[in-house]
Amino acid sequence: MYPLGGDKTVSEQIQVVSIETDVLVIGGGLAGCMAAIKAVEHGVKVVIAEKANTENSGCAGTGIDHSWAYVPPVHEPLGYTFDDLMQDHIQGSSGGLVRKDLLRLVAGNNYSRMLDIEKFGVKMRYADSPLPGNLRIVPQFHSVPTSINFDGRYIKLRLTRQAKKRGVDIYNRVMVTELLTYDGEIAGALGVGIRDGNIYLFRANAIVLSTGRSNRMTRSASGPRHNLRVPAEDTGDGKAMALRAGVGVINMELLTGLWFNIGGNEINLGSPRNTTQPAGSITGVKGEVFVPRTRFYDWSRLGKEKINAADVRRQWIESRTGAFRDYFALRRQGKGPFFLDLTGGTEEEIQYAEWSISHEAKGYWWLDYLANQENFDFRTDKLEYLPNTRELSIAQAGGVVVDRNLETAVKGLYAAGDEVGGLPFSSSPGAFSMGWHSGDLAAQRAGRQNALPPVKEEPVAALKQLCLSMIDRKVGFHWTQLELAVQNIVDYYCGDERSENYLKRGLERLAQLRSETPLKAENPHELGRCLEVRSIIENAEMVIRASLERKESRKQPSRFTRADYPEQDDANYLCFLCQQKIDGEVKFSKIAV
Amino acid sequence: MYPPVVFDEIECNGCNICVDICPMDIFGPNPVKGKPPIVLYGDECRYCGACWMRCARRKNHALRIVVPPAMRVSILRNVSTRRR
Repeated sequence: MYPLGGDKTVSEQIQVVSIETDVLVIGGGLAGCMAAIKAVEHGVKVVIAEKANTENSGCAGTGIDHSWAYVPPVHEPLGYTFDDLMQDHIQGSSGGLVRKDLLRLVAGNNYSRMLDIEKFGVKMRYADSPLPGNLRIVPQFHSVPTSINFDGRYIKLRLTRQAKKRGVDIYNRVMVTELLTYDGEIAGALGVGIRDGNIYLFRANAIVLSTGRSNRMTRSASGPRHNLRVPAEDTGDGKAMALRAGVGVINMELLTGLWFNIGGNEINLGSPRNTTQPAGSITGVKGEVFVPRTRFYDWSRLGKEKINAADVRRQWIESRTGAFRDYFALRRQGKGPFFLDLTGGTEEEIQYAEWSISHEAKGYWWLDYLANQENFDFRTDKLEYLPNTRELSIAQAGGVVVDRNLETAVKGLYAAGDEVGGLPFSSSPGAFSMGWHSGDLAAQRAGRQNALPPVKEEPVAALKQLCLSMIDRKVGFHWTQLELAVQNIVDYYCGDERSENYLKRGLERLAQLRSETPLKAENPHELGRCLEVRSIIENAEMVIRASLERKESRKQPSRFTRADYPEQDDANYLCFLCQQKIDGEVKFSKIAV
Repeated sequence: MYPPVVFDEIECNGCNICVDICPMDIFGPNPVKGKPPIVLYGDECRYCGACWMRCARRKNHALRIVVPPAMRVSILRNVSTRRR
């Protein structure tokens, strides 16, 4: 770590660490770990480069309690076919804006992936379950229950151990920032050690890009910098480097506005139809009901009587149309404040919700905080719903363009999980299924190559120079200062309602800010944060450019509002807007759904 | 600022697992072996609870996460007459 003192300059202290591998996985979250675990089955060398520590990183770093799947032993006797799930997801979950080929891959494989995860040590069967296989399955994303609830608190630890047991090499605290190509094919990647300050040069015949969501483009709704529902370390590094390498990126315009959820600690409890079901409801100070509670699914018909899936889907889609609660609009009418209310639940229902929360991200610690620091009890107390930070996630499905086999425009560069664009509610099913499939294909490709492609000197020297420019600088700004200025721009010029003049001004101001704000890094940790701000700016530019390109407004679930184009225009815009660098310039094209 | 994570000098044995796994890399090991880690970047904490989850001595409060006022949940208390 510099400064090490002594008579070595910083430039002399920075080593270039060269690593050769068959498959490189960039980002060791759920998708990346699954990719590595599968790839190494082929007997090839597999490396994961992770900017944090794979044991507790990414969206599932502190747990996950649910993953949707088509579960034949349950859904077939129910009378719900695979095609029913596809239709639910296309019409209901996605509003038509969906990559059907990726949906087929994920929906068709996630049950198998859950069985793999069970083999890796994750418990998902319970003696009190009435279902075949003793699974716990609840309604969440589709017209019938498809979400498997399970003990996912330590899933990242299980996946890390499985990967290491199989011989995967994991480089933690290495932030990859650059992809290297040769003749249109992948050749490797460059990263920076955020503890040792070294440059890492990876040479590989196949790469899986899985760096997750793009966060921190907007201010935290509550103030404390990294108080986000999603992991603050995920800054869209993958999309930024993919765009620079010539890969297309879609759906960036779908960055949301502020939205209502648990206030204070931003935590993934979602609407009452998610982790706090079935007792969860939204009520006001005097008990007025804004979102009613539900019931556990009645499984008693299973094996006796099949549902009419088409009817069930129609009713579900109708109910979804009015289901979105615009809490800001309600507040303007003087309604609220709003509270998550489980006080009407039975003891069994509340214990189910507490179990679920304890396995969901941040939930285990959060329950301890609620009980011991706030003396809170779901049985008697309610939690207020307040504005949460804007996101590009879940329904928004912003990410890189891949073919049906998860390969990008750069041959040998695959992508998986939330890195990939076009599948709303991809989340963990996308991570598990796309991770596995991309790892499989990446390893097969690597196995066909005779040698590693060459890498040029210039990118290595350029990255070293970029790092040195931030370290050696005598006077410069702390990374937090630039990040705040970027967030101000995205929040104001690219807010809830967008229009051409504001978006163009936002882009101009971003460009000016970027060129006029020299950053100073005191050490490798700060250097990593400075490089994250570069990713944040590049993702923000993608968001604003794409917002300019989408000349329409769109209703839920892919909500997008242009004040100057207030109508939805399916004829021209029920499609993905793809931005891609061609001859050094970002150009847009339409990709049909 | 008041640190997001507070260590108990006696209960914490300096195993440094929290240093190893923190996703935001906010901790540094104490130069004295066996002593609690140092919070180097407290304002970068994302309050995920990973450190608390992985701490073998959390039941003895070797490590405590302190939530700043702006991040406290807002509670409406005792709206039900149910006994706990």
